[in-house]
Amino acid sequence: MVALSEKEMTLGPQAQETLRHLLRVWLDFERRLSQIPIIRRIDQRSFTPEDYKTLLLNMRPQVIEGSRWISRAASSFTAEFSDIRSMVLRHAVDEHRDYSMLEKDFVSVGGKLEDIQASRRNIGTEALAGYLMNEATKPNPINLLGAMFIIEGLGNKMASSWAVAIQECLSVSEESTTFLSYHGENDDNHMNKLYELLDGKTIAHDSADDIVKTAKVVARLYLLQIEEFDNT
Amino acid sequence: MTELSQAYITSTGTFLPGEPVDNENIENRLGYVHGKPSKLKKRILSSNGILTRHYALDDKQRSTHQNRDLAVAAVRQCMSGSELDDKALDLLAVASTQGDLPLPGLASLVQAELAIGPLEIITTHGVCSASMMALKSAFNQIRLCEKKNAMVVASEMASRLLKKSRYEAVSNLRIDLESEFLRWMLSDGAGAFLVQEKPRWRGISLRIDWIEIISFASHYDLCMSCGTNDQSLWSQDGKQEDRMHDISWQDYTSYADAEANGALLIRQNLKLLEDVVKVGVDGFLKLVNDGKIKADEIDHFVCHYSSHHFKGRILDLLKLAGALIPEEKWFTNLYTKGNTGCASIFIALDELFKSGNLIAGQTIFCVVPESGRFANAYMKLTVVGGRDGGTI
Repeated sequence: MVALSEKEMTLGPQAQETLRHLLRVWLDFERRLSQIPIIRRIDQRSFTPEDYKTLLLNMRPQVIEGSRWISRAASSFTAEFSDIRSMVLRHAVDEHRDYSMLEKDFVSVGGKLEDIQASRRNIGTEALAGYLMNEATKPNPINLLGAMFIIEGLGNKMASSWAVAIQECLSVSEESTTFLSYHGENDDNHMNKLYELLDGKTIAHDSADDIVKTAKVVARLYLLQIEEFDNT
Repeated sequence: MTELSQAYITSTGTFLPGEPVDNENIENRLGYVHGKPSKLKKRILSSNGILTRHYALDDKQRSTHQNRDLAVAAVRQCMSGSELDDKALDLLAVASTQGDLPLPGLASLVQAELAIGPLEIITTHGVCSASMMALKSAFNQIRLCEKKNAMVVASEMASRLLKKSRYEAVSNLRIDLESEFLRWMLSDGAGAFLVQEKPRWRGISLRIDWIEIISFASHYDLCMSCGTNDQSLWSQDGKQEDRMHDISWQDYTSYADAEANGALLIRQNLKLLEDVVKVGVDGFLKLVNDGKIKADEIDHFVCHYSSHHFKGRILDLLKLAGALIPEEKWFTNLYTKGNTGCASIFIALDELFKSGNLIAGQTIFCVVPESGRFANAYMKLTVVGGRDGGTI
């Protein structure tokens, strides 16, 4: 599922409502995700080494773009939103070198380093990265908490479900799925912080709607990115 | 538009055939496949938590009842507790996963045995939510003032699919978790509700506030089925083009052939069970977000699933989102009455209805997740007092 809260955490009624809406966006996203053929093959354990290389090749540009929009978002928050800014900054630090793991995984299953380093954004990545960068440039982009909810949730799913399935299908060890596995561990902490922020005083009712809407847009564009694997 | 009437469950009934069978004696009743004890039984039983159940089979696996008989016995018990003569029934809705005959519908057989009518009949067929489909039909007919007194009965005789001869008939049988899981899960029984336009004169009734049924069949593959030896042939990217024969049990040259090929075993795809829970949660969140139910207004939560299916992250998240129904509000008799498919929710509500624990004004929320191909039913009931003014 999306994330876990290690410690006992309680949210106010408005944050609870936002979280319920976000959960439904996530569950819809997850359903649609498992209908995309390459992801279906993970679920059905018919995933091939070629599929894995395709996945990694197409994820790299997204991961690199990801660290860019998140750094941009951090700089768009004013002092009033310093708690969100701190979280976003930490997040950017945690993930800005994730792509090196991705490259290592690619090489470990027989891919060439120069091939993955030369991978271009597919048309879905263009749309997703373009949207996120545009939102991140706006002042105090609280709505991006919705984007983080979806992206972190996916990180968690990658670690808890995809990494294990891929190891099984390809008969490889954890050393070939470091990106998928590591990403999940980190994301649990990010999620807990995100829930705290949802409950913060800074989230007005209209920004709760924006958070949910942004989650929907990001979910849709993320699906597009996976649907358009290799369409560069 | 004409104003809609209300509909109330005014009486309930249950019939469970024979004595309860404990875990030690299941195989004595269903039979040892090729004379050998199951290797998977213990593991499956510890995961479903069921302690006793009932079978309409004797120790030689001969049927002691027809499915029709179970339904009729539940209806009779329901009518005996009602304030109505069965001549006044004007609708009979009967739900089952599998009737006694491929045709006609089970409702025809139940009506004949009850010797009631002429009246309107409905037969619904599916898996666990079939009973809710029948109940919703009856509920709506009462609301539209088309009918005054509807009998809704859900009846299951799964043991016919679980007896040893079904497994022994399969040539080169390889019993795996998929084909054996339900053998230790399902059992027989029937539950009945009388639905009327007015509450009882004396004693409590349950007002049906709404019933919602949501199916996600187009999003998921078969999860629980009988009638094919390969569930993947029914998937969205199935290989039907390559193979139009032997997909359904009815495609085989003979029914014996279908059975020998394993097409008549009841199967459960365990990999998809977690998705059943997710779909159930999604539907629940939709109802909460739409304002149809609030987690903290629920006094009794009756779910066809047991609480231990909800664990880990989803539990944490529901709690965090203020949508978790506390453990002490859960009501189930799954562990003692068994999982009787679509009859389970009626059998659970029958026990709760007669428990003495219901007070006028309380809210009962029911969820019936159906794993067949992801159809979930939800229902909200309100306990109302008798028209005589008594509170209980």
